[in-house]
Amino acid sequence: MTSPLLEVRDLRKNYDDGRIEALRGVDLSISAGDYVAISGPSGSGKSTLLQLLGGLDNPTSGEVLFQDAKLGSAIDLDSYRSQQVGFIFQAFYLLPTLRAIENVQVPMLAGIQQANHRAQRAAALLCEMGLEDRMNQYPNELSAGERQRVAIARALANNPAILLADEPTGNLDSMNSARIMEILTGIQKQRGMTLIVVTHENEIANAAPRHIRIRDGRIEGMPEP
Amino acid sequence: MTVQSDRMSHHLSFTGFAWRNLWRRRLRTLLTLCGIGMAIGAFVGLVGFSRSFEHEWLQMYLSSGTDIAVVQQTFLNTSMDESAGITLKALPSVAQATPMILNLMDLTQDVNALAYGWMADSYEFESLTLKSGRRFKDGKPEVMLGDLLAENLKKNAGDTLEIQGSSFTVAGIYHGGSALEAGAVILPLDQMQKLGSLQGKVTAFHVRLRPAPPGESPDHYIARAQAEIEAALPGLRAVPAAERASNNQIVLLAHAAAWGTSSIAMLIGILGIANTMAMSVFERTREIGILRALGWKRWRILLLIQTEAAALGLAGGVLGIAVGWGALRLLAALPQTSSIVSASFPLLLLVEALGIAVLAGLAAGLVPAWRGARLSPVEALRHD
Repeated sequence: MTSPLLEVRDLRKNYDDGRIEALRGVDLSISAGDYVAISGPSGSGKSTLLQLLGGLDNPTSGEVLFQDAKLGSAIDLDSYRSQQVGFIFQAFYLLPTLRAIENVQVPMLAGIQQANHRAQRAAALLCEMGLEDRMNQYPNELSAGERQRVAIARALANNPAILLADEPTGNLDSMNSARIMEILTGIQKQRGMTLIVVTHENEIANAAPRHIRIRDGRIEGMPEP
Repeated sequence: MTVQSDRMSHHLSFTGFAWRNLWRRRLRTLLTLCGIGMAIGAFVGLVGFSRSFEHEWLQMYLSSGTDIAVVQQTFLNTSMDESAGITLKALPSVAQATPMILNLMDLTQDVNALAYGWMADSYEFESLTLKSGRRFKDGKPEVMLGDLLAENLKKNAGDTLEIQGSSFTVAGIYHGGSALEAGAVILPLDQMQKLGSLQGKVTAFHVRLRPAPPGESPDHYIARAQAEIEAALPGLRAVPAAERASNNQIVLLAHAAAWGTSSIAMLIGILGIANTMAMSVFERTREIGILRALGWKRWRILLLIQTEAAALGLAGGVLGIAVGWGALRLLAALPQTSSIVSASFPLLLLVEALGIAVLAGLAAGLVPAWRGARLSPVEALRHD
């Protein structure tokens, strides 16, 4: 039996000096290449779980293991985010002073690739997203759907093992939502990446092979993978 | 092919990213540049002025061949007995010793100049080139004008010049090797003493030494001559020319005033950059969170903000050098100051100004950079 890519053991996260318990003992195991949807009502802890899986924050207790190595001790969180994880946010979070092609290069600035290679890779990723004619535009010149596609290209820049998407369709109309999910699932299948999507949309959650529901900081039901 | 080359033109470099961050708030960046530019301009102008003053002083000694100046303990005191010259000239190491008086005089409402009282047979005339007229005579109400001063006063040989209520004939116009000479007026020593009611008193003796004996180093010889003079004339100081140029009260005062004033200006400039960088970091909190989410380490955030601060300092430094250079040129052209400053711009001053500007930027950026680097990605992403 192969070891999981990501494993979560008794994960807890408190805020406001313990007055708010966002996660209350979560156990979870995710294999390489899985497509997992995490859903739940507002304040249920789903985004907090995604942040801890992505190494954006440290848990109050419990542990997150990536390939059996504990995040924050055996693996440096910055390196983990840079090399193993690609983030996609609801609000896109593109840098407004940079063109689309430059936004995609930002994660690569933390690495050692040469400028030519960075630009070539960014251009190739944007072409893959169908944005070959939009790569020199600034974010405010792009539609919401185009911005999210740029954000996906940026998430793929360092060829991560895991894609973490926090409400990736939350700011999009239904047509663009469908297109974005098509792109994300396509990437997951073609590249064998692990895709974890946090969503409050049942249609998207139910379409995932594995659907985790969270309520009050605990996993409500977890079908077998 | 066109599309490909267009794409390739958008390489994003670390420094390019820093530049974009500065350029997004152009007005604020330009105002900050003006602040640090003025501070560096003040440094270049004031320190350049004081160094130029020192340089001209040294140049004057070098061109006249003066090895040692014999002075009272205090520099500008014209209280030394002229009779000390007899003892001085009798010393074995002394080839020539000439008394002199130094003062600063208002010649007109707009023009003030250094005024020297020399003997007509002073060896110091050897370094001057007579352009018109002749050398003055002792005991006569005559003056010689440096060519720069003559131009400012619009005087020629044969004209009359009023100094402190007395009429003097311009005996000659000379060209001097330094601005301190070119912009000066030279009077007979006795006339200078009369003007200041300083009969029998001088400011200093300038001394030319005999050649050093074979086998003795120049430094050792000068030190020995110093000791010999000070032993023969108790209470007086024998100061090597180079030391007197750099270590006299006027030059030290000019240096202190220059550094003091420019330090205050620099402090204001640093606060300006610090304010700009603090505002910039606050406004970009979420963007810093994005960078942290994308795997940028804390030190890289710190480096980005410090690069922006250093770039502000550097650009301000370049602006300041231009401003300071312009100020020096202006001072060298103004009648009030042309006698004590030249328009020369030493390379060392340029390097110092740029170094100080960059260091000022780095110092100003340190706290905002540290605060930016400390931000937690989650907290920063939540920031509105």
